[in-house]
Amino acid sequence: MKTTLAILGFVLIFLWYLSFSATRLDRLHHRVETSWANLDGLLQRRAAIALEIARSDIADPASSLLLTAAAYQAREARLEYRSQAESGLSGALGLLLADGQSNARAAEKALLTELSALTDKIRIAIALHVDAVTSTHNVRSKVIFRVFRLAGTAPLPVTYEFETDVL
Amino acid sequence: MLTKKLKIGIVCPYSWDIPGGVQAHIRDLTEFLIASGHTVSVLSPAIDEDALPEYVISAGKPIAIPYNGAVARVLFGPIAFARVRQWITQGEFDLLHLHEPAIPSLSLLACWAADGPLVGTFHAAAKRQKIIFAIGPILEPAIEKLNARIAVSEAARSTLTEHLETDAVVIPNGIYAKRYAKGTPQAKWQGNTIGFIGRFEEPRKGLAVLLEALPIIARFAPDIRVFVAGPGDSEEIKKSIDPQLLPRFEFLGRISEEEKADFVASVAIYVAPNTGGESFGIILAEALAGGATVVASDIPAFDSLLGGGEFGALFESENPTELAKVIIDLLRNDQKRTELALAGKEHAQIFDWDVVAEQIFSIYEMSMVGSNGVSLAKDHRSWNRLLNRSVEDK
Repeated sequence: MKTTLAILGFVLIFLWYLSFSATRLDRLHHRVETSWANLDGLLQRRAAIALEIARSDIADPASSLLLTAAAYQAREARLEYRSQAESGLSGALGLLLADGQSNARAAEKALLTELSALTDKIRIAIALHVDAVTSTHNVRSKVIFRVFRLAGTAPLPVTYEFETDVL
Repeated sequence: MLTKKLKIGIVCPYSWDIPGGVQAHIRDLTEFLIASGHTVSVLSPAIDEDALPEYVISAGKPIAIPYNGAVARVLFGPIAFARVRQWITQGEFDLLHLHEPAIPSLSLLACWAADGPLVGTFHAAAKRQKIIFAIGPILEPAIEKLNARIAVSEAARSTLTEHLETDAVVIPNGIYAKRYAKGTPQAKWQGNTIGFIGRFEEPRKGLAVLLEALPIIARFAPDIRVFVAGPGDSEEIKKSIDPQLLPRFEFLGRISEEEKADFVASVAIYVAPNTGGESFGIILAEALAGGATVVASDIPAFDSLLGGGEFGALFESENPTELAKVIIDLLRNDQKRTELALAGKEHAQIFDWDVVAEQIFSIYEMSMVGSNGVSLAKDHRSWNRLLNRSVEDK
């Protein structure tokens, strides 16, 4: 009788722990989604600004073409290729800003300040997102989460490998 | 910037009435946020519940535990947990900002109890502690709920990555740089003088290193005088000072913010011989903003704050001979001293609240994407869903 009770108690505690862990993972997935939504929004804004810069006087025709192509690519890339495309856009912007800063007029100056403020935010957003993804990966790789399939059907979040040094 | 008005809940882990870096940071941040039109409520332990500012809500009397080389006055336990839950329910916050959530404190309880946008700031810098291995598995589920983590310095950040395997964004502590820039030099503190501010009784503040260095300094600068400001029992310390050197010391007791600004503007050299346990060194930032020439020990926090010696002189920590050498060198070289002070004053502007609060606020904004406020955590959502209790979900 005593052993049955002990086993029953153990099973109950174990079930409680499973449910607790499932909630924990659910929360992490939620964090990945929100941090991605935030990052995605900022990146979309950056692509929009890049297009504006491409149409402005700072950009010569050649770099304008380059920038436009990179911006469209970044906007339309699928999730797996997104970081690659965004790095491409960073590179194009970097090329332009390296020598374009000097002959910018007031309107373009405003555009450039907005871009640099946005870049600061994107850097933080990337850090937050990467952190969320790494925690999720860590938790999902634990034995108990794998054996009991606590992740359910949720896809494994994609690591966003943004080359921060390009920014 | 700062357009949408928010309801923010801030949790302070340490007793509000004990002076300390974390409390000062929370007070300044709260006042800055309130001044920009947000609604802020701070939950904190407090010894004297009647003397609290309007925005602080007491969670009860703290208990003293030894932590990180000092005594921490924190609060936890079932009653405190109930208070935290009540505060979260009644506050209807858009966001919670928890300070030092990795130590047993109100912040950890709040982190455990809340669901929604959570931001955590980590202040402490400590060497790897074994105890973390034991409590790590308990901390992890709570800490990973934070949407964003802020570390006040690189030292605090590496402490965090070492102990909890998670990264953080570095945002320095804030100071009111303009207030310190207003300090006017007072003749009584000028001349060949050394200034020290801090709780000098605590060994980690390093007053002993300065005491040992003084005989050497006095040999080269016979008119040297030392001013020590800060709370504590000066009689005890005086006994340990060589009677011949005693007349050179003056203990000022605790000084007000205005006096502090005048003080750092007056002394020839501001010295911070701390031996460790320091994560950011807010007092150094303030001294720099006030235009002082700073000499500090080369512990990691000070090293990074002073840009490796660019904005203030560094000496090998706990080495009185080195300290004496650096001070004598600076006392003899007026030009070098002025240059250091000028570079430091300019550098200190990046710690101004205008800059720092904007960075913190943009973290707030990012954490709140797609959320509808803070609620109590439901740790077993799946059961609730099963039993059809999801109605109470927001």
